[in-house]
Amino acid sequence: MITAVRKPMEEIIACVAPYDRILLVGCNECVSVCSVGGRKEVALLASALQMHFLKQGKTMDIKEITLERQCDPEYVEELVNLTDGADAILSMACGCGVQTIAGRYREKPVFPAVNTTFMGASERQGVWSERCQGCGDCVLGITGGICPIARCSKRLMNGPCGGSSNGKCEIDPNIDCAWQLIWDRLKALGLERRIEDIMEAKDWRTSRDGGPRKIVREDLAS
Amino acid sequence: MTKAFEPEIVAFCCHYCAYTAADMAGSKRLSYPANVKIIRVPCTGKVDPIHIMKALHKGADGVYVAGCLEGDCHFKTGNIRAAHRVRRVQALLEEIGWDSRRVEMITMSAGMGERFAQTAREFTEKIRELGPSPVSRAGQEAGRQAVS
Amino acid sequence: MQEYNDIYTEDQGNQAVLVIGGGMGGIRAALDLAESRRDVVLIDKSYAIGGLMTQLDRTFPTNNCDLCTISPHLSESGRQLRMELKPMTVVEKVEGEAGNFQVTVKRMPRYIDVDKCTACGECAEKFPEWVRFTPGLDPRAPTCMRYPQATPYAFSIDAEKVTDFDALQQVCKAGAIVPDDCEKTETLSVASIVLSTGGELFDPSVLDNFGGGEYANVVTGLQYERIMSASGPTQGSLVRPSDNKRPRRVAWIQCVGSRGINRADVPYCSSVCCMYALKEAIVTRERFADDIETSIFYMDMRTFGKDYESYLNRAVDEYGVNLIRSRPHSIIENPETGDLSITYATDDELFHKTEVFDMVVLSTGFRISAENMELARRLGIDLNAHGFAKTGGFAPVATSRPGIYVCGVCESPKDIPETMIQASAAAAAAGSDTPVSGAAVEEEEIFAPERDVSAEPPKIGVFVCECGAEIGGVISVEKLVAQARAIPGVEVAEAVGYGCSGDSISHIEQQVAGHGLNRVVVGGCSPRTHEIKFQDMMRRCGLNKYLVDIVNLRDQDTWPHMNQPEAAQDKAYKLVEMGAHGVSKAHPLAEHTLPMNQNVLVVGGGVAGMNSALVLADQGFRVYLVERNAALGGLARNIRKTLQGEDVGAYMDELIERTGSHDNIQVLTRSIIVDHAGMPGRYTTGLQTGPRMHYMQIEHGVTILATGALAHRPPQYLLGEHESVMTQLDLDAQIADNPESIEKLEQVVMIQCVGSREPGNPNCSRICCQSAIKNALRMKDINPDMQIYVLYRDIRTYGFDEDYYREARKRGIKFIRYETDNRPEVRDTGDGLEVGVYDPILGRNLEIAADRVILSTGFAADDETTEDLSVLFHLTRSDDGYFLEDHVKLRPTDMSVRGFFLAGTAHSPKSIRESITQGQAAAGRARSLLTSRFINLGAAVAKVDGDKCAACLICVRACPFHVPYINAEGYSEIDPALCHGCGTCAAECPARAIQLMQYEDDHILAKLDGLFERMN
Repeated sequence: MITAVRKPMEEIIACVAPYDRILLVGCNECVSVCSVGGRKEVALLASALQMHFLKQGKTMDIKEITLERQCDPEYVEELVNLTDGADAILSMACGCGVQTIAGRYREKPVFPAVNTTFMGASERQGVWSERCQGCGDCVLGITGGICPIARCSKRLMNGPCGGSSNGKCEIDPNIDCAWQLIWDRLKALGLERRIEDIMEAKDWRTSRDGGPRKIVREDLAS
Repeated sequence: MTKAFEPEIVAFCCHYCAYTAADMAGSKRLSYPANVKIIRVPCTGKVDPIHIMKALHKGADGVYVAGCLEGDCHFKTGNIRAAHRVRRVQALLEEIGWDSRRVEMITMSAGMGERFAQTAREFTEKIRELGPSPVSRAGQEAGRQAVS
Repeated sequence: MQEYNDIYTEDQGNQAVLVIGGGMGGIRAALDLAESRRDVVLIDKSYAIGGLMTQLDRTFPTNNCDLCTISPHLSESGRQLRMELKPMTVVEKVEGEAGNFQVTVKRMPRYIDVDKCTACGECAEKFPEWVRFTPGLDPRAPTCMRYPQATPYAFSIDAEKVTDFDALQQVCKAGAIVPDDCEKTETLSVASIVLSTGGELFDPSVLDNFGGGEYANVVTGLQYERIMSASGPTQGSLVRPSDNKRPRRVAWIQCVGSRGINRADVPYCSSVCCMYALKEAIVTRERFADDIETSIFYMDMRTFGKDYESYLNRAVDEYGVNLIRSRPHSIIENPETGDLSITYATDDELFHKTEVFDMVVLSTGFRISAENMELARRLGIDLNAHGFAKTGGFAPVATSRPGIYVCGVCESPKDIPETMIQASAAAAAAGSDTPVSGAAVEEEEIFAPERDVSAEPPKIGVFVCECGAEIGGVISVEKLVAQARAIPGVEVAEAVGYGCSGDSISHIEQQVAGHGLNRVVVGGCSPRTHEIKFQDMMRRCGLNKYLVDIVNLRDQDTWPHMNQPEAAQDKAYKLVEMGAHGVSKAHPLAEHTLPMNQNVLVVGGGVAGMNSALVLADQGFRVYLVERNAALGGLARNIRKTLQGEDVGAYMDELIERTGSHDNIQVLTRSIIVDHAGMPGRYTTGLQTGPRMHYMQIEHGVTILATGALAHRPPQYLLGEHESVMTQLDLDAQIADNPESIEKLEQVVMIQCVGSREPGNPNCSRICCQSAIKNALRMKDINPDMQIYVLYRDIRTYGFDEDYYREARKRGIKFIRYETDNRPEVRDTGDGLEVGVYDPILGRNLEIAADRVILSTGFAADDETTEDLSVLFHLTRSDDGYFLEDHVKLRPTDMSVRGFFLAGTAHSPKSIRESITQGQAAAGRARSLLTSRFINLGAAVAKVDGDKCAACLICVRACPFHVPYINAEGYSEIDPALCHGCGTCAAECPARAIQLMQYEDDHILAKLDGLFERMN
């Protein structure tokens, strides 16, 4: 899942301050699940903004709508009759959603209300951790199901480094050393010898280093 | 023509404790300010941050959530969740330049009529000192102006 | 599958049960009976029901506020259609026999018409000088409502103190004062009787060594309770009576008047005082100030109930309550300061010590009043030597007269949970003597069919009650209704005098019909007390009961703001606006009902399980009794005799024979439960049964868990290593089966609390002190010269078992106390056993040569079984592996999942007699659910809009009862049968996909709109 956190109100306020009519758009997908951009957060943000501007003596007109998914053009099409009544669009979706809207409604300024943070998993209610960086060439099969790219602070492919101490990372002692986890897991699987296999230098072209990526599924796209 | 400021206060009270305590305050004729208007909920766990925000947005000068004492919630942890939500709303208010003291969480048991009256007095006094909320001030200035 | 058993006869015979005494026990018994569709008459000599519990501040072991816990029960009893409540009524005489008693009762004059009295308290306000006192420190008015949630919700007058009835009548605007009220006698025809008259608390003012009632700062436990209580005389501030200052040092003296042989003493133990003293000490430190020193003087700390031992540990370790093992002789008051000094001796100090306290609380126990003994004579039932109703060891709720049953303190001293268990057992027994009231009209049939109003715009009627001067005297109701007419959607608004009177209600009904109203707002007193009355009114009008809103004008406006009429007027209008806006968004709601499957699954074939099965099978219900072992009987099969000398073996043989041969019971031995599904009222449980583990499924509506506990055998003190070291259970069998082997024993040492009250098994096993004394006395019978030493921590022979402890000491059995930091040692000397123990009274170590060492090993939870079953059935367990009931105080036999009940040692350690009681109680509770045929689940449940749901799992994780789940369609689903209606999920849902019915978002926001409409 894509995780995000709400931007500081100050920043959001600065974005929308020049306008009088805002279309505030939530998304019922990832950002709902991580409680940052679903119907509830849309309602709270709408109230908060209106209350802020009322204090300034300004009545801000805010329309609320939450789309099933902001990163799909069909859903974004649902805004077509609403954008005319708005001076600007404020999106509570991840960056994908914001861009889908911005691409469709070119005449309206679009602002993000959240900072898209990472691809993560829920540890428990209210706690999410980064688990994947989308490198395009998954190594989890040989690292015991623990990703050294997302979870090692140094992205070491042949770890651990000298800074691993009591299973914790030297960059941040609150997080586990990914390579310690990998070692523990491999040992539990009886595959500890694997740690000695050297992983060759990773070809980062499948990741962002090869430029913006695109998936085209011929079977589906035709 | 300036009339003395009378704050409008909304109290979300759980059925089992705070609402009962309010009744008890009444039956003992314990006086507290008439500014406090109670909305009954089954449990403070039902009080959504949106309810608190909307109350302020619509014109309340102060909002408090009154639930059972810690450990006494009839639904186990509703009061604890409510306290978290109140803290969240307080933080949000700070961010938009409102005084977060306009929102509070209070706990009491059903038998504490005195505590209900006392906390109602204290909260009202505090709001009186804070003055009208930006909305009710704007409302007063702009006359009958719609705020959805 | 048998859906409906043939229990609903149209028998017009005598169906009623008389319950005498409206304390917690009587209320529980009456509710159980009424729920089981038996007609009940509940009488109480007092003017409001509730008994002793209503005077307590908080209850152990949860330290909850009592009013909160009790008030739902009281209003419930006010509602029961089949229950008739007769306060201020006493029994004159009883004639006839079981199945057909003629009971003459006398109603004392109340001088108030309960139907007219609105409990405004005006009379009490005006005439405080005529005071009727409830115990101790409670300043009350002549018209005395004992506590704010009183049932019936009306006052009563102490005519002896009233000097001017005219003045009183003038004060009462409701015209409820009846000066010429007089005694009335009537004869009730009932099939059976439940006696639950409770006990009195000992009055220590006869004890001059404790001040003889003259020392202001010496109070009883109950008086201290009142001082701490928020509804008490000091309104919840802890101050001592002499100078209204907060005490800094408070002492409790235990066993005042109990466990004694001196004048004014009773020999038995009152069973509850140790816990209440600990509770008062804890609450003192927790709620008032942790710098108040609290000391408890005691002889044995008797915390033998479920989880009570951990309560004791918390008192000492977390709250720093000071325990002093000593029985002080007297208290000396300093007349100048009111301070109190206590001189006492302890085991380990050579000299007396004197300490000064600001307050001393006397922990007084239960007594049976002369009045109660007279009542017993009228009922023709036997009393035991201590004046309590006599019952049998294996028939714990049956008195000596057939058809008369007993529960609560009038049977033996006991705390609230045990009273509740016994009350349900007594109700089960009494209800078995009477047919279900088949002629009773089904509730639904009383009301008109419901009109569908969903397409109509709101047409609201606003009816404002004046409640005499209570509302009408503070605000102008006329002005209020005139304003209300302007509220959008309001069709009619008018004042209705006394809104809750029959006249007014029928007037409102006419208005609803005449104007075609579809929603109603009633301005009056609290919905907590009156909502149901007006909901019933709506149903008579053919409207959904959730389309009425009660605006609390009295308790939350004109009462607290009586001195600011202007502000009260303004607030009243705003409250009515909120009500009108809210009700216009109110949705008609259906209450969820499901037909009940009428079969019963009983898990566990021990004493408790068999008793449950028999009560229900005798009533015609089909019972499946599942037992893991090859034979019925459980642990009790290993016991030969009780402390009282009854023959357990013979009882068990008869019980097993009756169970095995009962037509309605299918016994499934060697069976284990493997799967479970369904919802309350309709469960399917799969078992593997018999030697071949054949799989079968049972459909059932209720489940009783009676899986028992294990006989503990911890490998301590050479148990299992030396043949002369054995448990009390081993010894019990040997005494019965091989008395010759006992005769030659010269010295025997018993060690108590082996493996109990220890980390890992923290609670008291409850039965071991009695077992030790039982076996010691039996061995003395065989060989009077035998030397028996009992090494103990506290002797916990609660209730009448104290008699046997005294006898044991009289017969020379030696009791030596040990501490956990200096335990006894058992050594194998090669030619025998030797026990080393430190004797605190002699102040030195003893070496005792022992022919036998007997370990009191008690119970251990059957952790594996309770864990497996709690996973299968979604039940909760306590930390130490017993099942955890729904409410430890008031619902000790009900589990938190509806339709599940709990009995016997699966709940906590118990004696055979106590297991029988709870077995019968569980059957009674189960029957009250089964006889209703349908299970009503209410309307306030959470509903998910699947289209909006993001399947985020937040509700699944947030629900305190683990109800929501993601269904096969991929969205959250909340089973209305399981939802408790707290609304937590609705408030947490990030997609706003969940609404709590009755408290929907639009409903709440509409109220806010109403409040702020004029402003915006």
